[in-house]
Amino acid sequence: MQIPIKIPGGPGQCPEWAIIDLQGGLETRNNVSLNGRFMGDLHFTHKNVPVLIIGHHILYGKVCDLEKPFAVLTKKHSDTDNDTVLDQDNTDKQHTDTHYLVKAIIRRRLLFKTRPKPIIANVPKKL
Amino acid sequence: MDTEMEDVNNGGLRSLEDIKLVMEYAKIDPTEVKPVVQSVYFSEELDNDAVKFLEVDDAVLTALEAGDELVIRGEKTESAVLCTGSKTYDIKEAEMSNCMLLLSDMVWSKDLPDKGDQAVNYRKVTSVLQNYFELRPCKPKVKKLKMLLEKNMYNGKESEEDEEHMDEKYTFQDLLNLVQASEAEITAALKKLQACKLEGYWRVLHFDFLTQVLNHIIQLSEENDWLRSGLPLEDCCQTLEELFPRPVIEHVISCYADKMSSPTGTEDDDSHMEIDTAFYTLNEDKICRFFAELCLRNAGKFNLQEFLSVWEQSVPSGMKTYLHQVEGMALINRSSKPEVIWYFPAENLPEDVGERFDSLFRTREKWTLDEIAPYVRDLTTAKVDVGGLLLKYARSSLHNGIKVFNSRKLVS
Repeated sequence: MQIPIKIPGGPGQCPEWAIIDLQGGLETRNNVSLNGRFMGDLHFTHKNVPVLIIGHHILYGKVCDLEKPFAVLTKKHSDTDNDTVLDQDNTDKQHTDTHYLVKAIIRRRLLFKTRPKPIIANVPKKL
Repeated sequence: MDTEMEDVNNGGLRSLEDIKLVMEYAKIDPTEVKPVVQSVYFSEELDNDAVKFLEVDDAVLTALEAGDELVIRGEKTESAVLCTGSKTYDIKEAEMSNCMLLLSDMVWSKDLPDKGDQAVNYRKVTSVLQNYFELRPCKPKVKKLKMLLEKNMYNGKESEEDEEHMDEKYTFQDLLNLVQASEAEITAALKKLQACKLEGYWRVLHFDFLTQVLNHIIQLSEENDWLRSGLPLEDCCQTLEELFPRPVIEHVISCYADKMSSPTGTEDDDSHMEIDTAFYTLNEDKICRFFAELCLRNAGKFNLQEFLSVWEQSVPSGMKTYLHQVEGMALINRSSKPEVIWYFPAENLPEDVGERFDSLFRTREKWTLDEIAPYVRDLTTAKVDVGGLLLKYARSSLHNGIKVFNSRKLVS
């Protein structure tokens, strides 16, 4: 079976997206879902250093080119939205419909690999 | 619950005041950072399975950006490969301890203004990923092609209705669905298998049938003195058309003869609408190799001297046999008495490098470079030549002053 991968809208139409690369994972207290949550404030210094403030932590990072770019793929027209190794279905028709679209290319990332520094301040307001 | 987060949820998006306050606590001097702050949220529709990251090298990216389609190929029992028009890559999943937050609308530092009033922009993380797929260039997996085509070999038009020829036949499109290789690599592999497109299906000719066709072509050539003067394609096809389909005749000629360069010169491509007057000369090495195969393929071990004389007598008069013509097809044992030769075709060996060497060293303990090279040459890549392969998979030693290679491990 064959699954094509293509850029929609033809050559040269692919936007560049960004990734923020954090060491470790992000969790909320009590395991609440992240959906819709505020993550942090992203500043850039005049020297182009990214500064990210997450909760009570401040992180200094850098802009890195990816050694090899990432293509951001989304899968279209398939029943079981799984992986590159494919559906259980045997009807050929179904498979020819399945394809990946390249939504964007990622060439650079914001890499935050240093240990976050705690922000020490007086508690601003009553809980 | 985290009160800060609750504040945000109740009060909507962060205000500039919220941001300024945090900057103050964090001791960030507003004059040192750009005035635009990007406040990052997780999307309400955060979906970590919505996208996959595929790491692409320059060649793949260039192909993609030029509008070429990439294709993932494989049946569900096989691990997927990705093909461009000409190359094949293994797809491997890589996992990381880092997490990558995907933002579609983040603005890079260089694109932010240096001056101006402080402002806040809101950005959304749409997915968080901890894995990506990487591509490793690999050899096309074309062994399956041979296996597929040999299920139903062509044995002449009359036998097509026979029960043994009712098996599956494959169009090029069918093969693309089944074989894990790029279009160019499949085309090359079909050529190597001497497959022929008949009525839309790619077929290999049954060896006995091929023998019949080739013998007719050779006989005709001998009768008409075409061996010296060249074989006129049109005449040859017309004469043999009663016996075999024309595409088969043309195919066999193209496999065992070379087109002669036209005496009129170079500018023939577009100006010609005349009858095809192409001439071919039979390729001596290929014809001799064919007759060697004819002698050896069902013979088991053959006394070398006897073989040489039978072989020499079987080839068309005027052609000369040399042992280099059978390289990669037959093995010779010079230390046995009498010396023997037997059929041992490279194309029947495993495709995987490790398995290939195991199989070779099971057949023979020690090989010279000249002996083993024809059996591993198809495994070489731009980076690793035959010497490189031997360095990795074999050990060399001197045997009676000759360098020989044996296995690095115990072969069972």
